[in-house]
Amino acid sequence: MNLNMNSVESVVAQIQGLSSSADDVTHLHGLLKQSEELLQSESTRLAPFLAELDPSKHSLGYLYILEACTAAPNAKEQANELVLSIARFLNDCAAEQIRLAPDKFVSVCKRFKDQVMLLETPMRGVAPLLTAIRKLQPSSEHLTSLHPDFLLLCLLAKCYKTGLCVLEHDIFEVDQPRDFFLYCYYGGMICIGQKRYRKALELLHNVVTAPMSTINAIAVEAYKKYILISLIHLGQFSTSLPKYASSVAQRNLKNFSQPYIELVTCYVNGKISELEAYVQANREIFEIDRNLGLVKQVVSSMYKRNIQRLTQTYLTLSLQDIANTVQLNSPKEAEMHVLQMIQDGEIYATINQKDGMVRFLEDPEQYKTCEMIERIDSSIQRIMALSKKLTAMDEHMSCDSQYLAKAGRERQRFDFDDFDTVPQKFNI
Amino acid sequence: MASSSSSGLTFKLHPLVILNISDHYTRVKSQSQSQSPPSAVNGGETTSPPPRVFGCVIGVQSGRTVEIFNSFELLYYPSTNSLDRSFLEKKQELYKKVFPNFYILGWYSTGSEAEESDMHIHKALMDINESPIYVLLSPSINHAQKDLPVTIYESELHVIDGIPQLIFVRSSYTIETVEAERISVDHVAHLKPSDGGSAATQLAAHLTGIHSAIKMLNSRIRVLHHYLLAMQKGDIPCENSLLRQVSSLLRRLPAIESEKFQDDFLTEYNDTLLISYLAMLTNCSSSMNELVDKFSTAFEKHIIRGGRTAFF
Repeated sequence: MNLNMNSVESVVAQIQGLSSSADDVTHLHGLLKQSEELLQSESTRLAPFLAELDPSKHSLGYLYILEACTAAPNAKEQANELVLSIARFLNDCAAEQIRLAPDKFVSVCKRFKDQVMLLETPMRGVAPLLTAIRKLQPSSEHLTSLHPDFLLLCLLAKCYKTGLCVLEHDIFEVDQPRDFFLYCYYGGMICIGQKRYRKALELLHNVVTAPMSTINAIAVEAYKKYILISLIHLGQFSTSLPKYASSVAQRNLKNFSQPYIELVTCYVNGKISELEAYVQANREIFEIDRNLGLVKQVVSSMYKRNIQRLTQTYLTLSLQDIANTVQLNSPKEAEMHVLQMIQDGEIYATINQKDGMVRFLEDPEQYKTCEMIERIDSSIQRIMALSKKLTAMDEHMSCDSQYLAKAGRERQRFDFDDFDTVPQKFNI
Repeated sequence: MASSSSSGLTFKLHPLVILNISDHYTRVKSQSQSQSPPSAVNGGETTSPPPRVFGCVIGVQSGRTVEIFNSFELLYYPSTNSLDRSFLEKKQELYKKVFPNFYILGWYSTGSEAEESDMHIHKALMDINESPIYVLLSPSINHAQKDLPVTIYESELHVIDGIPQLIFVRSSYTIETVEAERISVDHVAHLKPSDGGSAATQLAAHLTGIHSAIKMLNSRIRVLHHYLLAMQKGDIPCENSLLRQVSSLLRRLPAIESEKFQDDFLTEYNDTLLISYLAMLTNCSSSMNELVDKFSTAFEKHIIRGGRTAFF
């Protein structure tokens, strides 16, 4: 099998010849692996050869040559053409072929992303990377190294909706922890941008409670945002992390985000003026962390929180009283706030404009509409899918060798059949 | 060999006998299948005829009523076409000790019809009981058949072609159950639906019944609908009497059409959905719990001494 591959031309000929069926492609893969050094040495000459190959049919070979080609650092002028050619390749390549060499594919995509960032046009990279992710993933439940890069480009290009369509699929398989951290962090930021606070909270929670052996910067930043989102969405925050968070996180995260913890205590007190004073005092810290926008949202959510607290005490209240209790400037502002909250569905109330009274109502959901049936039905379907996944994981775990070793060891002590009158414990 | 018996005896058969015979047959059949290697040449169908099993039935005869309580198995010698006599007598003695009232009333076998060779065995038993009974169980499964595939034959002396011969005549019988038998049969009948479907519980069987009923209704409505469409298009000549019938049927539905009914119906539907959602949530959390237990057993670095039980 050791052919005489001492020229790039012969490699190209092999690629063109051996790209038709699956067996040929695996053969070709072996040959390409052997000729890798040759390609690396000739990296400057390789660009014209790419024109002879068709990316959709000869994807594997094209990938190898492209990877060798882009290995050399190149100038900004060439970046444009490089971006174009890689984008074309990503759109046209055949998924089965590139899955044979995933790390090469990932490195090509990473270089693509670097070039796009160099040109400062992140928008150009969004669509090609999306197709690249879809082609690389064995299934939509797998996390690839391309996910965080894609989300980063979406964030920079402000294409939040495209990012959301990738975030909709739950991830069940993770290869690299660093990918996971970055993916959840960027994903949380995209959800914040789209004001989907619940999903953002979930993603940031994943970062903060993920297993980690040492504290890392992603987790620290995520923790700060997690505090802020928790205040905006839930109105409260508990500084104790759940039990399944790593001990490293539980001990150290708080130390890195001291100003935010104090913000929480200010918020809980309920006085807007104090909160605003605190924010003003620590403005630079928040600005350095690029969280000032979120902090301002926290302040405005304070009004909402206070109005919601009022619903628990009063049945009707005048707009003037609302303005006074919540420390707003005028009844007009109070009316605007209440109206906004009614539209967002955060509160159930009616405003009587004649005498300026607001009447707080109960949740009018009667659970007797067809839409409710469809909602519950879709929830049931989702949970059935989740249940199947759980049973599959359970079976997988039952067959795991480590589990069987430990379970077998434990069972021996308490086996009913071996019971005799003298308990085994005392025999030791 | 068929006409009904004229002896005037009433037969009462206990379910235990039927179950015994069926069990005997099933065991022998599965044993013979596992012994002979599957070398079926024609498409997987076993061409060998199903094995026949033989045994004795015992019970009580009081006056004109014959009540068959129990049965036991016997070995059959095809060479001499007779049953194992010594074993029969040994078994008879043993049963006598436990059930002093029981006598050997006859014998049983499996098959679709009574055969000529059976008369030989029948005559052999005549010295124990002057008029033995032959219980025949047909093991072929026939879903359409609603009765039990069990027939009871008696022997009568008939004159055929001038020669007096013993032939088998059918007798009718009733099923008689003791309380214990009734409970067990009831239990099994409720758990396993009669059409042999895979539904395992009573609720599933009930729902399957409703589902098939609704499916039938749906198909019938579809037939009517097609018919009416064809009539409208003109493919079929208009038949006014049928149209009148359809219209009267339609006027009978819907039974209730008020707003309140809609509300109540949707509320109840939602409640049922919520309950099943809750059930699924509980199911999921329990499987999650097991998974987490297994995970911590497998990958926990330190084992808590004495605090763990073996029963997860």
